[in-house]
Amino acid sequence: MNRQAAPPDEATSSSGTAMIEIIKVTKSYPPNVTALADISITIASGEMFFLIGKSGAGKTTLLKLLCNMEKPSNGLIEIAGMNIHQVTGNKLAKLRQRVGMAYQDFRLLTNRTVAENIAISMEVSYKKPHIIHDRVRNLLAQLQLEDKHDILTGDLSRGEQQRVALARAVANSPTLILVDEPTGNLDAASTEQVMDLLTRCNHSGATVVIVTHDEAIYRHTSHRIMKLHDGKIASLTRGTGSEQPLAADALNATDLADKSGDMP
Amino acid sequence: MNFWFAVIRQTGRNLRQTWATQLITCLTVSLSVLIFSFFYLIYLNMLSVGDKLSDNLHLVVYLEDEPGPEMQEQLRLKITQFDQVEKIRFISKEEAFNRFAQQLGDNREILADMPTDFLPASIEVVPLKTLRSLRHVKLFSEYLATLPGSQKVQYGQQWVERFYSFTQLLSIIVLLSGSLLILTATFMVASTIRLTIFGRQEELELLKLVGATNSYIRTPFLLEGLLQGLAGALLGLSALYTLFQWTTHHISGAGFFNLLTFTFFPFTIISIIIALSIVLCTVGSYASMQKFLRV
Repeated sequence: MNRQAAPPDEATSSSGTAMIEIIKVTKSYPPNVTALADISITIASGEMFFLIGKSGAGKTTLLKLLCNMEKPSNGLIEIAGMNIHQVTGNKLAKLRQRVGMAYQDFRLLTNRTVAENIAISMEVSYKKPHIIHDRVRNLLAQLQLEDKHDILTGDLSRGEQQRVALARAVANSPTLILVDEPTGNLDAASTEQVMDLLTRCNHSGATVVIVTHDEAIYRHTSHRIMKLHDGKIASLTRGTGSEQPLAADALNATDLADKSGDMP
Repeated sequence: MNFWFAVIRQTGRNLRQTWATQLITCLTVSLSVLIFSFFYLIYLNMLSVGDKLSDNLHLVVYLEDEPGPEMQEQLRLKITQFDQVEKIRFISKEEAFNRFAQQLGDNREILADMPTDFLPASIEVVPLKTLRSLRHVKLFSEYLATLPGSQKVQYGQQWVERFYSFTQLLSIIVLLSGSLLILTATFMVASTIRLTIFGRQEELELLKLVGATNSYIRTPFLLEGLLQGLAGALLGLSALYTLFQWTTHHISGAGFFNLLTFTFFPFTIISIIIALSIVLCTVGSYASMQKFLRV
């Protein structure tokens, strides 16, 4: 197996299990567009992982494959040990309840209130109403949106909508959180709130994959950063920031043996 | 929170969001139930009127001469040769006169100058209850007309024939309105659910992505169909009951109708109509879901 990156020490030392296994994944669209080519990466349980690259590099495509919105043309993707593209019916539903996804286009129900939008992800897993209510209030407080509880999401600004989409993604306390451009429409203060929330989720055990081209949010990180370029892994590095991951070991040199030219 | 709580809440939410369409569908279903049950009620009442009339059904064979005891026995044998009967009764000329006089009541004086044997003797034949179809009665009357000494056979042919063709027509109307009920209940609900599915495509897609099970997404639509069926049937039957009460109240006292007792559906039939409506609407909803709901 020709992996471009093996599981890092961070992953193995935090929980010892892989949350995401992507093995030689290719995604092509007709007639002749290759969005992703031969991608292999392992992301461990409890890891925070940054996926960067220019527009059209294949970041969002990879995220869509991870949440089973699309199927790969080739290769294997496993989440928590399950091949997500072979899981169907109730098993797939259960798996999706454990994955929180904040979409780039938010996918909010604009004719529903903020609270109702956030509650959806908890309702499908039959959480008790008072638990849903408390969790919604708590998340809105963390994102400074308390006063928007009963506002229709269609009436919110883009930045507020983005935060609501993120709140919905993390509401059900998923074990895997996938976020696509979480700070695209946010000012510095809101960006910090969003990153604080994601960091808290990560500290409480969730694996967090953040797709971004906002350098500000990964510049000072100590987590792994994978850069995509034209559908291929251009680099896989560990951030040099002061912030320490849960089990911050030195990056396994073998991980990046073939990418040494891209190391910072 | 369990599955059913979540599903019922989701159904309530759907109904609230699309209440106008739901209301129109419900009214259409109730109108179909009303039309069907209206004709069915008339049909059932006509059948019971028919039963009552056939209780009194007897054939009268008018004879040329009054038969003696031996002749009576021969005629009795001849009649029972054709079929078993419930009762055969010979009426002498005098008995016929007395009966007529009794029927006249206070006006019996008009018979004062008449001879007591001016009315013909007759035989009253009451056929078995189990053999009272119109065809059978006709055949029997034709046979009775061939008896020796028989002058004429009467059983109110015209009236009975008209009554039977009326109930026949009613049964056809009941069948047609039943088909109308099936069509409207199934297709109207199917079309409403289809509109709801299209209107909520975005939400259904999202529910799927956040991990809603197929039953979580589908059951509310089935429940909507079920509720449409239940509400439509209850509304239609209530309207019919009100109409029935009003009619029976307003026509009581009118001569002819006073002879008949109209009854509303028994509980069993009410339950069957409600169940039928529920099943049809749920089937409509299910069919629409199978076709348009991609989860």
